[in-house]
Amino acid sequence: MNVRNDDSPHLPARRGAVSGRGERAGELDLTGSRLTEHPSVQVPRDGLSVTLFWNGKPIVARPSDTVASALYAAGVRIFSRSVKYHRPRGLFDNQGLGSETLVTIDHEPNVRADRRRVEEGMWIEAQNAWPSVDFDLMAVNDALLPLLPNGFHYKMFHKPRWARRFFDRLIRRAAGLGTIDTAGHRTETRYEKRYRFPDICIVGAGPAGLAAARAALAHNRRVLLIDDDLQLGGHCAYSPVIVNDCDDRDLCGLSEQMAALRLIDSILGHANLEVLLQTTAVGLYEDNLVVAERGTELFKVRADSVIVATGASDRHLVFADNDRPGVMMARGVERLIGLHGVKPGRRAVVVTCHDRGYETAQMLRGAGTRVAAVVDARVKLPSIQIVSDLHNARVPIYGGETVHSANAHRTLRSVTTGDLAGLQANRTISCDLLVLAVGFKPTLGLLSMAKGPPRWHDERQIFTVDELPRGVYAAGDVNGYGSFARLYREGWEVGIAASRGQASPVSVREGSEMIMVLPADIESRGEKHFICKCMDITRAEAHRSIAEGFDQVETLKRYSNMEMGPCRGKTCYEAVARLAARDTDQGTGRPAAEPGMSSAAHSSPGRPADRTLAEVAAALFQPPCAPISLGVLAGRSRHLAPIRRTAMHDLHVQAGATFFGMGEWQCPHSYGDPQKEVQMVREGLAIIDVSTMGKWEIGGPDALALIESALPGRFGDLAVGVMRHSTICGKDGRLCGDGMISHLTAGRYYISTTTGNHSAMDSLVEWWITDRGLDVHYRNLSSVLASVHVTGQRALEFLQELVDIDLSNQAFSHLSCGQAMIANVPIRLFRTGFTGELGYDIHFPAEYGESLWHYFLERGEPHDLKPFGMEALRILMLEKGHLIPGIDTDGPAAPCAAGVGFPVGDDRAHLVGKAFLGQFEARGLDNNTVPYKLAPGAPIPPDGVVILDSGAIVGRVTCSRMSPTLGHGIGLARVAARLSAPGCHFSIRLPDGRDVEAEVLAGAAYDPDGVRLRA
Amino acid sequence: MSFLLTCPNCGRREVEEFSFRGQYRPRPAHVESFEVRANYVFFETDHEGKRLERWYHSSGCRRWFLVERDNNADPRSFWFSDLDRP
Repeated sequence: MNVRNDDSPHLPARRGAVSGRGERAGELDLTGSRLTEHPSVQVPRDGLSVTLFWNGKPIVARPSDTVASALYAAGVRIFSRSVKYHRPRGLFDNQGLGSETLVTIDHEPNVRADRRRVEEGMWIEAQNAWPSVDFDLMAVNDALLPLLPNGFHYKMFHKPRWARRFFDRLIRRAAGLGTIDTAGHRTETRYEKRYRFPDICIVGAGPAGLAAARAALAHNRRVLLIDDDLQLGGHCAYSPVIVNDCDDRDLCGLSEQMAALRLIDSILGHANLEVLLQTTAVGLYEDNLVVAERGTELFKVRADSVIVATGASDRHLVFADNDRPGVMMARGVERLIGLHGVKPGRRAVVVTCHDRGYETAQMLRGAGTRVAAVVDARVKLPSIQIVSDLHNARVPIYGGETVHSANAHRTLRSVTTGDLAGLQANRTISCDLLVLAVGFKPTLGLLSMAKGPPRWHDERQIFTVDELPRGVYAAGDVNGYGSFARLYREGWEVGIAASRGQASPVSVREGSEMIMVLPADIESRGEKHFICKCMDITRAEAHRSIAEGFDQVETLKRYSNMEMGPCRGKTCYEAVARLAARDTDQGTGRPAAEPGMSSAAHSSPGRPADRTLAEVAAALFQPPCAPISLGVLAGRSRHLAPIRRTAMHDLHVQAGATFFGMGEWQCPHSYGDPQKEVQMVREGLAIIDVSTMGKWEIGGPDALALIESALPGRFGDLAVGVMRHSTICGKDGRLCGDGMISHLTAGRYYISTTTGNHSAMDSLVEWWITDRGLDVHYRNLSSVLASVHVTGQRALEFLQELVDIDLSNQAFSHLSCGQAMIANVPIRLFRTGFTGELGYDIHFPAEYGESLWHYFLERGEPHDLKPFGMEALRILMLEKGHLIPGIDTDGPAAPCAAGVGFPVGDDRAHLVGKAFLGQFEARGLDNNTVPYKLAPGAPIPPDGVVILDSGAIVGRVTCSRMSPTLGHGIGLARVAARLSAPGCHFSIRLPDGRDVEAEVLAGAAYDPDGVRLRA
Repeated sequence: MSFLLTCPNCGRREVEEFSFRGQYRPRPAHVESFEVRANYVFFETDHEGKRLERWYHSSGCRRWFLVERDNNADPRSFWFSDLDRP
């Protein structure tokens, strides 16, 4: 599927016409964009051996690449267009958090390019842009409309009414992300649900998660380790920082990258460890259910303990035009270098506020990117080695500044920096890459689902979730940024606590590990300060929404759709919460202001007294905390329900039968031609496997009381050896089934019902017994007994040879039942006639299923006995006008609609549905199920089509077949009561638009007087 | 719904194994008015706090039992025969 060639029919016609405007000669220097070595991290060295296509243009990539890194290395800077303003968007976090890298791959829309490994021949298309992602005409939205406020299309285009339809179409086309593949290229995709039951489920395979897994494995626990990345190690997989003071002495002195590899080696292959990579945990529910998604699979993980080690991601910084392609997260840049060996740019500016930002700058230099400047928000620069190294390398370092705006023509050209308040711009630095290394915010999606919304932790300057339910633990960066040694220790301790079922140890962070926040918005000039990039929400729009009254973070989130895009708030939740708290003043009446940074080193002039966010909560995270396809949620879990096969199933298969599902059962549909099978029955003799019918035996002192309180009929007068038909009603008096009640031996009753509602009937009988507290013996024999039906006018003659009792009309008349022996097998024998012919139901232990079936066919050979299937039975029953409750009736059918009367003046204290049975009779019926016939030669309508009377719909066909016996079409229909009298006519609308006239019958179309039954 | 429920017969199982069949209330006597009996069949009251529910272990032992559920506490399962016991 992935291997393509030029004449592949899937390729769009405009292939080759796209010239790739963004990659004009001279704009990008691609020579040397691929690294084979780096001074501080190991980079992949595999060759360029995979070819993929970006909007029709071939691109070569390394097998270790993600689609995003392959595109980036090939010079692609604009990956997508934003949802509302159609602004160009490029690689940002490079770890699949946001919407920037959503592309369509091989007709699959909305794939995160930074989470998908490259494959040979992948066909990648940009989304949400026309004619191309590099030149998108709909970007006029950005230029012409300074502000597209929330709900703008409801507010602006609702009048005049006729215009609404036009604008709707326009808006639908402009909005949204990928397009669903309606051409059905991917119909072969199957979605499955999978289940895991580990002792401990660890979400996140960074240093904390790995250490926790190591501890749990050392305590002999079965561990499931889930990570959404393509490799283990979390942020350490590409980090050059040297490990110090780690509890595991072997790891000290190594780079974090090497330490992580060694840690992985120490646990990988352990018998008690299962690792699921590229698997995103999207929800954490009651009793420790973790729901995770991997491609087309949904995992439901039920664990004794869940360790959430989801880590942290880079903070989002809000400033003017902060969405420009070229603005990237620090970890995104480090991933490009460390994981994929891609040089991220030519000239970079690193914006930071903590020591780790300098490591990123050094890493960039190692990759051959010139660092034009490091802009540190702190006035007092740290006196550490790496800072002096940068000084010596003549990298300008500006303290007490931050970025004010990103200046771009499609992609980044320069950045303007200045003071933290955004009031005074100091300089403009030309660059093609702006790296945001302004601290980390915990990935709280899962944790917040456990008990409550994240709250501001003033000391650590992050949002945290402190209250966790029993069995849920948090470890690592999710509790706040920490060194490798800190994360390792925390993971290890939590792993031990979870293994032993103890309370979580207290999380500790030192002063050096706290990273102060920058102002939530650098309030520089410019309109477009994006808070939420996924949904294209700027600070100005948030202001407007607040002015409209949505001044709580939860309502603001719902109204403005902030945090509700593909990143599910992972990128922006902190910015949203802080700005909402600030801009809404949280109803305190006091002017709100910025916590943290501004109150510490940089008080902003002209700003009222600051207050902390201590009482401010972020919006609650809702599952799923990552985008998930509907197919995954709707995926089948067929293994959860049994597939029931009759004892004779294999013989039917050998005989060439086709099967169909009826409830849990697999029934033989036919052995070839159902019409011929019908004729077989009418002409004399045939046999059918009816083992799928429900069978129950009820005995004991209260047996009759139970049956009489459950069924509308009375059975006190039912003699031993006789059976009677009965409907079965729910407590609301509605028809839910029918069955035959047989009085087998004195006080012992046997109920058989149709196949479909076998399970429902079983629960109902169990309920009656439980509810009444009656003294009965009850056995469900549905699978214990197999049953066959021998029918036709020669049935008596044939069976009399086999059984040891007298079957003559006098001794064993219509609706008789009894016990007998066939070939030394004990059987229960019932003379019924639902085919309209003389018929015998023979029930016998299922273990004799195959041998007795063989025996019948063998002994029947001289009589020309052949099997028939359920389809023929359906036609036979139609010819007799028999309806099947639930198929030929619908939910609200009253028992009298099935032509069954019931005692109105009943004296029973207990009768299921009694209160309503009388009501139905008194009220009359709106609809009736009636048999009908068509004129000879008239086409047979399919089941379910509508019935018309003078152009109005008055009912539907429930079952419709050709009758080989009568030579014309017959069927059952549910029609309005006024049309249900015998002789009435109505027309049936065929799918091709033609109408067929039908005439209502008084009763059975075949042998209406039942002569053949009793013969 | 994704919690674990205790079947008095089989123990703690996934809630997917069970069928929920509504609240449990004493059935009105057959001499009661039609309105009372119709209300019993068609209406259920929803309220915070403890409630008594009918559950059926449909994918398990196929037994009916009662569960007392509370918005703020773990569910408690027991047989109908234990209904009147404290």
